[in-house]
Amino acid sequence: MSKTIPPTCPEPATGRTYWRSLDQLSDTPEFREWLHREFPSGASEMTDPVTRRHFVKIMSASFALAGIGLGTTGCRKPVEKLEPFARQPEGYVHGVPQYFATAMPTRTGALPLVAKSHDGRPVKVEGNMLYPDGNGGTDRFAQASILDLYDPDRARRFTHHGNNVAREAVNDFLAGLAKSAAAARGAGLALLLEPGTSPSRARLRKLAAGLLPQARWFTHDPVDAGAHMAAATQMFGRSVRPVFRFDRAEVIVSLDADFLGTEEEVHHHIRRFAAKRRLEKPEDGMSRLYVIESLMTLTGANADHRLRIPSSVVGKAAAALAAAAGVNNVSAEGIPGDAAKWLAECANDLKAHAGRCLVVAGAGQSLAVHALAYAINSALGNVGTTLELLPAEVESDSLAELVADLKAGTVKTLVLLGGNPAYTAPADLDFAKVVAAARKNGTTVVRLGYYERDETTALCDWQLPAAHYLESWGDARTSDGTVVPVQPLIAPLFGGLTELEVIARLIGVQAAGAYEIVRETFASLVDGDVEGKWRKFLHDGFLAGSGHQPVAASLITSAVAKAVAAMKGEVAGNGKLEVVFRRDPKLDDGRFNNNGWMLELPDPITKITWDNAILVSRRTAAELGVANNDVVKVTVGGYSVEGPVWVQPGQADGTLGVTLGWGRSQTGRVGQGAGYNAYAIRTTAAPHLTVGATVTKTGRTHSLACTQEHWSMEGRPIIREANLEQYRQNPRFVDALKLHEPPQPKNAKEWPAPLYPNPFDEAKKSAFHQWGMSVDLNACVGCSACVLACQSENNIPIVGKDQVAKGREMHWLRLDRYYTTDKESFKPRDSGFYAAPVNRKQQFESWIDDVQVITQPMMCHHCEAAPCESVCPVNATAHDAEGLNVMAYNRCVGTRYCSNNCPYKVRRFNFFDYNKRPIDQLYKGPFGKRKDDEWDLIKMSKNPEVTVRMRGVMEKCTFCTQRIEAAKIAQKVKARASGDVVVPDGTFTTACAQACPAGAIVFGNLADPNSRVAKLKAQQRDYSVLEFLLTKPRLTYLARVRNPNPNMPDYYEAPMSLQEYEAKNHVQDALAPHGPADAKGAHH
Amino acid sequence: MATVTSSAAVPVVPKELLREPLVTNNRTPGWISDRVASLIEGRTPAWWWVAFIPSVLLAALLLGMLAYQISTGVGVWGNHHPTMWAWDIINFVWWIGIGHAGTLISAILFLLRQKWRTAVNRSAEAMTIFAVMCAGIYPAVHVGRVWFDWFLFPIPNSNAIWPQFRSPLMWDVFAVSTYFTVSLLFWYVGLIPDLAVMRDRAKTKIRQFLYGLFSLGWTGSNRHWSNYEKAYLILAGLSTPLVLSVHSIVSLDFAVSQLPGWHTTIFPPYFVAGAIFSGFGMVLTLLIPLRRWCHLEDIITMRHIDVMCKVTLATGSIVGYAYGMEFFIAWYSGSPYERFAFINRALGPYWWGYWIMIACNVVFPQLFWFKKIRHNLWIVFILSILVNIGMWFERFVIIVISLHREFLPSNWAYFKPSWVDIATYLGTFGLFFTLFLLFMRFLPMIAISEVKGVTPHADPHMPEGGAKGGHH
Repeated sequence: MSKTIPPTCPEPATGRTYWRSLDQLSDTPEFREWLHREFPSGASEMTDPVTRRHFVKIMSASFALAGIGLGTTGCRKPVEKLEPFARQPEGYVHGVPQYFATAMPTRTGALPLVAKSHDGRPVKVEGNMLYPDGNGGTDRFAQASILDLYDPDRARRFTHHGNNVAREAVNDFLAGLAKSAAAARGAGLALLLEPGTSPSRARLRKLAAGLLPQARWFTHDPVDAGAHMAAATQMFGRSVRPVFRFDRAEVIVSLDADFLGTEEEVHHHIRRFAAKRRLEKPEDGMSRLYVIESLMTLTGANADHRLRIPSSVVGKAAAALAAAAGVNNVSAEGIPGDAAKWLAECANDLKAHAGRCLVVAGAGQSLAVHALAYAINSALGNVGTTLELLPAEVESDSLAELVADLKAGTVKTLVLLGGNPAYTAPADLDFAKVVAAARKNGTTVVRLGYYERDETTALCDWQLPAAHYLESWGDARTSDGTVVPVQPLIAPLFGGLTELEVIARLIGVQAAGAYEIVRETFASLVDGDVEGKWRKFLHDGFLAGSGHQPVAASLITSAVAKAVAAMKGEVAGNGKLEVVFRRDPKLDDGRFNNNGWMLELPDPITKITWDNAILVSRRTAAELGVANNDVVKVTVGGYSVEGPVWVQPGQADGTLGVTLGWGRSQTGRVGQGAGYNAYAIRTTAAPHLTVGATVTKTGRTHSLACTQEHWSMEGRPIIREANLEQYRQNPRFVDALKLHEPPQPKNAKEWPAPLYPNPFDEAKKSAFHQWGMSVDLNACVGCSACVLACQSENNIPIVGKDQVAKGREMHWLRLDRYYTTDKESFKPRDSGFYAAPVNRKQQFESWIDDVQVITQPMMCHHCEAAPCESVCPVNATAHDAEGLNVMAYNRCVGTRYCSNNCPYKVRRFNFFDYNKRPIDQLYKGPFGKRKDDEWDLIKMSKNPEVTVRMRGVMEKCTFCTQRIEAAKIAQKVKARASGDVVVPDGTFTTACAQACPAGAIVFGNLADPNSRVAKLKAQQRDYSVLEFLLTKPRLTYLARVRNPNPNMPDYYEAPMSLQEYEAKNHVQDALAPHGPADAKGAHH
Repeated sequence: MATVTSSAAVPVVPKELLREPLVTNNRTPGWISDRVASLIEGRTPAWWWVAFIPSVLLAALLLGMLAYQISTGVGVWGNHHPTMWAWDIINFVWWIGIGHAGTLISAILFLLRQKWRTAVNRSAEAMTIFAVMCAGIYPAVHVGRVWFDWFLFPIPNSNAIWPQFRSPLMWDVFAVSTYFTVSLLFWYVGLIPDLAVMRDRAKTKIRQFLYGLFSLGWTGSNRHWSNYEKAYLILAGLSTPLVLSVHSIVSLDFAVSQLPGWHTTIFPPYFVAGAIFSGFGMVLTLLIPLRRWCHLEDIITMRHIDVMCKVTLATGSIVGYAYGMEFFIAWYSGSPYERFAFINRALGPYWWGYWIMIACNVVFPQLFWFKKIRHNLWIVFILSILVNIGMWFERFVIIVISLHREFLPSNWAYFKPSWVDIATYLGTFGLFFTLFLLFMRFLPMIAISEVKGVTPHADPHMPEGGAKGGHH
């Protein structure tokens, strides 16, 4: 990826250096004057904001100022025909994408990004490789966020009481509001914000503190991502936020903390965690992860030891762990024998790694558990090593206080900036009713919202469309405090405003453009050459050296004691049910509710799409007399909600797992009707965990669309695993799991020449490039960011719930997730001769109670002897000389034979015109029509370098052939006469590899023995799936290694998948280092 | 006819050794012509309309379903990932299998001098042609982009891309189209003398013209007969390998792949046996009611039924042997994937499909060992339908059960057909019966001239009947 430092702007003789807003651009006399000189003949057309010529001109100007976004009114829709630039900006080539550094703001930080722009439209976001505390990886949310930009259902207009109003009227209204607020010194003005880290917002707030001292600021975060910071601040007595350095920890204990899955900053956590799990040779060390949790999470899936207890018992477990780890004044009670032994041994392991271990409490856990975690870390000397404390900003007041103010009638004007509080507010606050009552008493509600069709809109007098972050000027601080720019890639498609602009107008700041605000903030942060540093800031995407330095702080034991004393005694179990609320791994708090990619992304663990479920354990389901898809009514604290049940292997008995963000009553076309609303039973007192729920059957069913119907790997060596000890004894253990191959001549290194030699075997010897990929199953945690990156890069359509239920989802890259169990529970019927159970019966089988989870990214293997190619009657899929299995969509007739013959089943077929038809009208055929407004935005969102497939053709992973070709062309151009056309390793990579925060996917040139991928494939853990078919895949895997503790009561000598293999194939000690060569044949 | 005095030199065949004549009740050639022609010349019987009207409606349903599928996408069927082929290919193979009996009867039995074939070959060949037409619809429209079907033919084009000759689907294109062409020609050549009979009997101008046109100026001269016999023999010789090749090649669609349950060398002979089995099943299903309704009991005699039952028994047993052998090979291969595929057939989620197949194809046909059963038309008729059901399930077992659970358990799924699948299949029956009913109403459904040749009267040595028609 290349980024160009913006060239100096060729400045017109008079006029401004930059245009920063719509108003300035269209109306200033200087601009017009300049325009007349520049385009004398067409200048008059500028007054018509929608003509194509206008667009083109603005585009040319925009690119001349590459790196600096413009506000225009012209570029709403894609332009059908581009005219040449009147003045070609230097270095700009049509069709060649440009890259701009920006960032996606999150609750507790920001994700530094590089956005790819094609002729003015952003089409893909990637992590910023230059950013020092990162590897270019992102999370699911960042990858999916670009689709929201092109959401046809987003707010497109300014409204007052539901009627369209001009933007100017809104500006006037805000100006009036600012005037009256200033007069009242802010009294009666309340602002409700989402948590954020923007330095500009902080600066405006400081300004407001002077101008409008009586205005009140509130923050509402439904998932409470600030819990870690709040707890640390209390425990350490100063305003700090913890940073968990999993890359330094050799032993990690999670107290119900899903730090790899649904907590904040997962991309950092995954990267750091994976760094300590990656192995190159058997002698390498790796970390050990203990997880104590109720729901089966991604963190639990990656655990070496997992203690399955209800979330409400985690407090006691934490106390027992703390007591055993040497924390004073903590008593361990109420933990049964098995778990007590588990915790004691876990504590011993912690103590053995004092200073090199880390205990993390879940964001949803009580303050007591956080306190105990900090106490253990403090007792073992982890603070400052594996647990860093950074200075933090103080939070605003909470939503509950806002409701109190509203009830008291002290709020004259309520400004809602972002979020959807009417939906996300705890049920007991009754936010919608309170606001409605306040409005009756004269409160005016102004709202800046991304969606007009949602629950909060009905409460508002004024509705202002919000700009997407890719349309906004802004800034943010990442979790380590580094300042990053939020830079627009495109003018707001529907003229939306940013939060900064609204705040600035409210407090009456003169320069109310977001650009000026950010620039001014930046100027206050740096000294010296502001302009030069600004340019570098925008180019690099971060301000070097602006990060916070860790602070020293010592634990306040009295605060810990106080928090532990306040621990609640009520726990789940013995028929008592608890409800655990979690941020949804896909929809977050509901903000991605209209995002088709997110709705269709299989949940990383359950693999359910288009719905959330009430997750229960097998035993709890049996006690309640319910099964998968049964709709039940959950009642807790007087509130109730109905949702479908899903039996989740490995979940604690007595726990009901629910995720937030679904079941919206008012949402866009895509999200309508998906899931149930867990907010309905959530209260301020117990937002994350509540005990004492009752479940009643409704007698109805709701079928859930799950992408993986079968749970067990059936003892097949598809994902190969070993324990660290086994790996050290037999580094080539992957070979011991091979199925017999045709006999190889003795002492022969090479196979004898085949009867029909592969024509590409010769080409391979002299080719410059031979593409290949390696996936490290030890690093992959199953987060699914790669799936979305692939979807975004390759124009993969969504197909809708009905089609997913039919098995027709289109993801080129999927994550296979298997549950495995031990030898005793895995009962093979006689000698491998047995049929696996019917898929729907799995949920009743006892082996699913305690499972290990393994995940495997699965995409086209690019077999050298590809079974798909030989059966295609029309040559639509063929091999190229660089080892790619290529697909000619134009030639494909759609016999689907290739899919039948693909042993990995990675080819996807377009059963309908998924791109052309709306997902609810697929069966209408030619009568199913998309609305024009949808079309315009859908077209804009597509990557122009990848064909948009029509119905009836087969498609599959291409190893991002468009990126390969672009890199090759770039290298050829660079090489000129030198002939050095080999693309250097690391110049580019596939979308999935790029997005992977763990760095588990590595793509590159196998013809270069020094490439990273070639070296990975030379590792002893390298194996290919189903190698006995001799398909010779170019995608191979590095086997997974687990690191269990032999002293633990649940120690296993072999990973469960290996035990299954042994049980199924009647093998004793499959990985014994010697001998299996002879014995192997006998097993099968 | 005058009785020839038997001389002392001619041994008298004992009554119990005499075979039942192929045309019973001592029917004369004139009676045969009248009987067969009356089906065309007489009033349309009521039962014909009762059968024809629903058939046409179903054929119209077929057209509607195909239009829906082509305009909307393959997704209207139940096919999904991983079961990319389902009812489309099941029905293709099923109809192709049915299309086997006709050419087998007319070509192989002709070469083997099985004279009993004459009574049933015409209708069996017609059945073949119509069945192959029904079959041919499926591969043509099951693809994602029907309008590019021509990519499968080796047509010189500006892209200079040829079909991929390594693909069994390519071989299918040639095998099926050749089979259809030769079967059609064979059928038509056999029809010429009878068309001339119809021309000569025709009373209306239109009939005279059309039968005259298609009988190609047949006069029944010695030279015509001589050329005709030669042509017929050559076509029989050409068709014979095709009977074996077409279903062998269809079986290669599966055998060439590497899927457990498909990748099997036993497939070609096993498919051919299965095809003959199902073809005879269908012939019995069609002829048992027809001989009754058209009063053809003297031409299609109980002996014919008996012989066809025996062929069904033999081929059904071959198929049963193949099922057993598949299991043995799966076990013997040592591949756990292969073993699983077969255990999954018998005990997996679709166990019922497998056992329907075993019951209908292996168990019930064993009843044909008993003469009493072979002579009870009701039981034979029911068993023949069971054979057709069993053979449909055989393809279901091979295609759907193999695909739904193969190498990686993450892909496992359960296939269910959609209503369009079912309606399309019913529609092909509509097309088949529409064509067949039209055939029997407008063309002689019995080979008049050939049947005359096997009557006792045609045998100067045994005018009372006797060994004639037995094997030579």
